Amino acid sequence: MRGLGDWLYERMPINVAQLRELTNEPVPNHLKRWWFALGGTPAYLFVVQIITGILLAFYYQPAPATAYESVEYITNQAAFGWYLRSLHKWAATLMIAAVILHQMRVYFTGAYRRPRELNWVIGMALLCCTLLTGFTGYSLVFEQLSYWGATVAANISDAVPGIGGFAKQMLLGGDTYNERTLSRFYILHAAVLPTTIVLLVAVHILFIRLHGVTEFEFEDEPQDKPKHFNFFPDHMLTELMIGLVLMIVLSALATLLPATMGPKADPLTTPEVIKPEWFFYVSFRWLKLFSLTFAVISTGFIVAAMFLWPWIDAALRKLTGQQEISVYIGIVATFLLIGLTVWEAVVAH
Amino acid sequence: MGLRTKQVIIGLLGLLFLASLVFVQWMEVTRSQQEAGLIAHQVSIPANSKACVDCHRQSSPGIIDHWTGSTHAEKGVGCVECHRAQKEDADGFNHYGELIATVVTPKDCGACHKMETAEFLASHHARAGNILASLDNFLAETVEGARTPFNPHSPTPGRSDINMVNGMASVDVGCKQCHGSKVALEATDGSLITVDELQPDENGKPTNLKMVSMIKKDGNGRPSLAASSWPNTGIGRLNLDGSRGSCSACHSRHDFSPRRARQPENCGKCHLGPDHPQKEIYEESKHGVAFRDLREHMNLDAKDWVLGADYSQAPTCATCHMSGNTRNGGKVTHDPGERLSWTNRPPVSLVMDTDAEGQVVKETDPDKRLGLVKSTWQEKRQEMQNVCTHCHTASYVAAFYKQYDDFVVNYNEKFAKPGQTLITLMKSNELLTKVDFDEELEWTWFYLWHHEGRRARHGASMMAPDYAHWHGMYEVAERFYMELIPQAREIAHHAAENGKLAAAEETLKLIDGILARPEHAWFEAQKQLTDDAEANTFEPAAESAAAGNADAAAEPNEAAEPNPDADLSDKDSDDNSAN
Repeated sequence: MRGLGDWLYERMPINVAQLRELTNEPVPNHLKRWWFALGGTPAYLFVVQIITGILLAFYYQPAPATAYESVEYITNQAAFGWYLRSLHKWAATLMIAAVILHQMRVYFTGAYRRPRELNWVIGMALLCCTLLTGFTGYSLVFEQLSYWGATVAANISDAVPGIGGFAKQMLLGGDTYNERTLSRFYILHAAVLPTTIVLLVAVHILFIRLHGVTEFEFEDEPQDKPKHFNFFPDHMLTELMIGLVLMIVLSALATLLPATMGPKADPLTTPEVIKPEWFFYVSFRWLKLFSLTFAVISTGFIVAAMFLWPWIDAALRKLTGQQEISVYIGIVATFLLIGLTVWEAVVAH
Repeated sequence: MGLRTKQVIIGLLGLLFLASLVFVQWMEVTRSQQEAGLIAHQVSIPANSKACVDCHRQSSPGIIDHWTGSTHAEKGVGCVECHRAQKEDADGFNHYGELIATVVTPKDCGACHKMETAEFLASHHARAGNILASLDNFLAETVEGARTPFNPHSPTPGRSDINMVNGMASVDVGCKQCHGSKVALEATDGSLITVDELQPDENGKPTNLKMVSMIKKDGNGRPSLAASSWPNTGIGRLNLDGSRGSCSACHSRHDFSPRRARQPENCGKCHLGPDHPQKEIYEESKHGVAFRDLREHMNLDAKDWVLGADYSQAPTCATCHMSGNTRNGGKVTHDPGERLSWTNRPPVSLVMDTDAEGQVVKETDPDKRLGLVKSTWQEKRQEMQNVCTHCHTASYVAAFYKQYDDFVVNYNEKFAKPGQTLITLMKSNELLTKVDFDEELEWTWFYLWHHEGRRARHGASMMAPDYAHWHGMYEVAERFYMELIPQAREIAHHAAENGKLAAAEETLKLIDGILARPEHAWFEAQKQLTDDAEANTFEPAAESAAAGNADAAAEPNEAAEPNPDADLSDKDSDDNSAN
């Protein structure tokens, strides 16, 4: 064994002790509380998505003539196909939920503030990438709702001032949904967006490592206790427990509520009710409340404000003298988010 | 939380996750087994049917196997639910504590399947038992057998028990198995008790209690069903409770499979053979060819099986005549006549204008028809076209119907109406006896319309060219020119020799008049029939056409001039057919 270790070390001169030192970041005590240890959840789910996604890609055929049938084959005939597709669908749902919850935690604890502004921006980029991956993935099924959802999205992008027509052309690969659109969505969903997410996550973690995790002190914490604990093995085991619970929940959801299929996309028949996936309910309701142009421009402003929030927050605090102003704004925004989502969920049109 | 505790929790969670994966594996295995038909689905046996299932699993295990695979078994509809009898029912008997009846009728099925039963009862299927006094019935009862039993005329070696011949055997085994029997119970005096004797009320309860008291029962109090009427799943069965039909004619008993009813083989139990080979016609058509190729992809187990939603690979009999499609909101009908625009069953085809009872309106006066017709042939055709246009354009479908209409009208006008007129005249003039099938000409006419004429029309209706032509119109024409006309003339000539001059002359004049028509002018044209016979063509026809026809009739020799090329090409096509 020693010989093998020496052989390896000669070829990969990495000092294990140094590596451990490098990765074994001191973890702040507040992370012993469960709710603060959920940041790794989206990462777990992302790994599930990569694995199940690769297996689904073995069968999926991104062309209008075969897409629906290949998903049908996966669902009804391929061994474990239904399970993999259901895992992929539920992991996507949970991943988006986890990303949103993680972002809310960061927001309400003010963890984005100086000097961590850039990591918030990266986090926002990750949120956008995750939502786009969800959207493109849903479109790949090529069922009525996903087809018409994509058509509506393309028409919305058409309304963006200045770049509207170009954005629509880029999204659809033509003026309308055509035989090249699906392959475009597929490449975005299975290659471009996941690679971008991996790179952004790497930078996200690098920033965390550079700045350290924002530390919170709770009043009931004994003062004489050390303020940090080890990543190995203590925090690692916590993460493993969370991961296992997540896998069990995911497996239960996939078996008890497996992914179904709607009717096949029919470009000649517009469904009576068009709904996007649940995570776009909020923007869909927003669109219906105002004129298309106003809704698109205002959505652009809101997203831009979210990206720049660390600086806007700093300016607001300076301007008002209120340190917790972001919390009040956050509460209003959360109610708005939940309210619009529920509204869209309960009404047909 | 200590590290040790965390490790224990991780161990437990790991086991749980492993268990969830085992569960997934179990689900996958179950799914693939179900798909391969290796295991049955969920079966729920109602308490009152448990004893039936236990006992019949030993005595007739197939019945239980069939039922176990049915939707009934899945939904908890057991034996008693369908076989249950009321104490007034003529055929009810106590069977291990449950009052049941052997024969399950549409009245029983209709307790749950109300709409399906109502549609079925309105259909021609439900009236299929009305074959008494029909030509078919006379053929089987009298010509093929005998209405009364007769003595065997020599012994059958090894069967000393054969001392009487049942002349109705052909009816029981042939006609009734498709058309339906009149279900009969044996009476104590040796007679049979049917719905006619029992006179059931609208609830199916017999009102003639004297006849009920005469029902013969075995030692267990079980009424004896007459073998001449049971077993029988003919579609127009006349049941003891007054209901008509048998749902198991299409939905085979005990497994009641919708899948089977959707496939052409199911209809082929009756719709085949020399007189109405719909099954073979379908098989020859492109529809049938596509079905054979693609049946694995036709989603035959789908819950609703809607054309355009669940499948669109090929149509079966059910697709066009009964099943739902996306254009009619997926509405299934159990009346296969609802989408037919012609009835090709009678000697002369009629349009499917139907009255309040669903019967074809035969009234010829246009004004009187208006009052009688409740559902027009155009409405029915539209229903069928809703099916066609799932795969064909409207103009394609319209052009097909033009071809079909033209074909039927040509058959009607050239052969069917003249033939029918001739036979009617000869009967009324007593050149033919009143008894059917005792003269060659009657067989000839029967073959012409009942076998060949139907084959031709059905072939045209379902796009089977060989049936429309070679098995159809070719044989109609040959039968008409080479048999019907010569035989009718021969009878007339004999009649003239025997002093029936007026009748003979009228018949010969009619024949000559028919043959003098432009469409028959090629035949015997050299005899100059038009000189002394009236062509008697239908006056309201377009004037220009009539003028053209008159020209053709005036120059029979020219019209009948044989074309040597055509003759040659005919021979070629014969050779091709032979190949």
